[in-house]
Amino acid sequence: MATLPTTREPQESIPLLQRIVSILWPSFLTAALGTIVFFALFDPRDLAELRNIKAFSRLAGYTLGFFGFWLLTSISSALTCYFRRPCYKQPVPHYPEDDDLEQ
Amino acid sequence: MTILSSNNASPTADSGELYQKHKKVYVREVHGLFATLRNTAMVVLLGLYYGMAWVNWDGHQAILFDLPARKFYIFGLVFWPQDFIYLSALLIVAAMALFMFTSLAGRLWCGYACPQTVWTEIYMWMERLVEGDGRKQRKLDQGPHDAHYWRVKLTKHALWIAFSLWTGFTFVGYFTPIRELAHNLITWNLGPWETFWIFFYSFATYGNAGFLREQVCIYMCPYARFQSAMFDRDTLIISYDAKRGEPRSRKPKKQAEAGEKVGDCVDCGLCVQVCPTGIDIRNGLQYQCIGCAACIDACDQVMEKIGKPKGLIRYTTENALEGKPTHILRPRVFVYLGIITLVLGLLFYAIASRNPLQIDVLRDRSNLYTENQMGYIENVYRLKVINMDEKPHDFEITVSGMEGVSLVGKSPLVVHVDSGKVEDVPARVQIDPESIKERSNQIYFDVVARDKPDLKVHEPARFLGPVSR
Repeated sequence: MATLPTTREPQESIPLLQRIVSILWPSFLTAALGTIVFFALFDPRDLAELRNIKAFSRLAGYTLGFFGFWLLTSISSALTCYFRRPCYKQPVPHYPEDDDLEQ
Repeated sequence: MTILSSNNASPTADSGELYQKHKKVYVREVHGLFATLRNTAMVVLLGLYYGMAWVNWDGHQAILFDLPARKFYIFGLVFWPQDFIYLSALLIVAAMALFMFTSLAGRLWCGYACPQTVWTEIYMWMERLVEGDGRKQRKLDQGPHDAHYWRVKLTKHALWIAFSLWTGFTFVGYFTPIRELAHNLITWNLGPWETFWIFFYSFATYGNAGFLREQVCIYMCPYARFQSAMFDRDTLIISYDAKRGEPRSRKPKKQAEAGEKVGDCVDCGLCVQVCPTGIDIRNGLQYQCIGCAACIDACDQVMEKIGKPKGLIRYTTENALEGKPTHILRPRVFVYLGIITLVLGLLFYAIASRNPLQIDVLRDRSNLYTENQMGYIENVYRLKVINMDEKPHDFEITVSGMEGVSLVGKSPLVVHVDSGKVEDVPARVQIDPESIKERSNQIYFDVVARDKPDLKVHEPARFLGPVSR
């Protein structure tokens, strides 16, 4: 009985599809929101003009902007998932003398 | 011991798998009151989606979020990126309405109106058209992968892909004028970005409605996770009347003759077979349940057949199931309704009273100020006059706010702006250096329509200059 593997952590039992989706999907939603707010305030053509880029269509700006946002938010989601993983337990060194001290 | 080891063997066995073993849900077709309602909602909503893009209004597309031109048409109204606040108000109303309907009758949105449900339904309908009902689909998948199998699968996917492409095309048609888009498509002249978005959206539709289906609701939908917060004991939910149904029995007559207590549920399993998320409603309310009511239709048919009253599975409340009184109209419903009314009222008031004339004042960045030949101090501005009125107008531009401030050249400056257009107007403002008291001074640009005096703005701007001693 003692050799039986202990039950897994709940985080580990999440299916891979759900893990991928939990990174890509919330970041998609927030990227969409970010894109809408950002481009409501800034015209991509004005931004391109500042950089002296000619013949830059607005649709190109929106598209690149959206995927840029999505990349950023995905990284943020992925890092959150990464840091939420349980740490391995550090083995505590055992000194036989400690047992004597307690007695 | 054996049970324990088998329990522990299964997780280790599948932990090495890359992908979750997803079992396809083979859904059996169902007919009945709620199926009719669902199909009606599907036809109406899809009809609106594919049809509205082609409706014209006042010489432009009725609903067009013209991204290339940064203008949004909703019937007679034209919105600009500056009008972003209205969209936020609309989103608040939508969220509150969703909360209200959820607290009234559970996941009405999920079951009848959510795009994920609606498109899944139409894709399942196409699947049934080609492959047959759920049982036939399973037979086909489990049978030999012969010529017949591939012919059927190819037909289905061709149909799905064609429908996806149409969906993607229509989607992009809400963001760039759809008639132009259609013309460009026929003449093979689509721009790279339009093409990209058509394919991107088509692919998303194909994947979500063809393959992911109920997994979107279970794993991806944020609403599915928090909707239970709007539930209370008076919320209408689809539930199985366990008091009446249990103990379920496949041979009720025999068991009743033997003197055993028998419930109304004959355990035919139809409620499970018709469920698009593949759950058993008899296990109680589950978060996978999208409230489509297919199980109600299925169970009612069976109850009718065996001569028992309908409604073993029905829309009911927790209170009603326990025999307590139910209050459908309760404070939380009125709170939601109150917020919706308030925000809608403010929204309508704001839209009705908004000024269709706007002016953006941009200072010339290269020079703070210059001295001109007359010895006056001059500031240069770029004015963006935005005419959001339905008619074109001639606008007169003047300056005020400081003693002796005037426009260089012809005054008043007159500019013609077409309906829904922006005109860039360079404006030079001059003033006698004697009257400059501060480095930065407040002046105003006054713009007024010649033919409509109440169409005007009084826009503040900064005038910079040297302080004379």
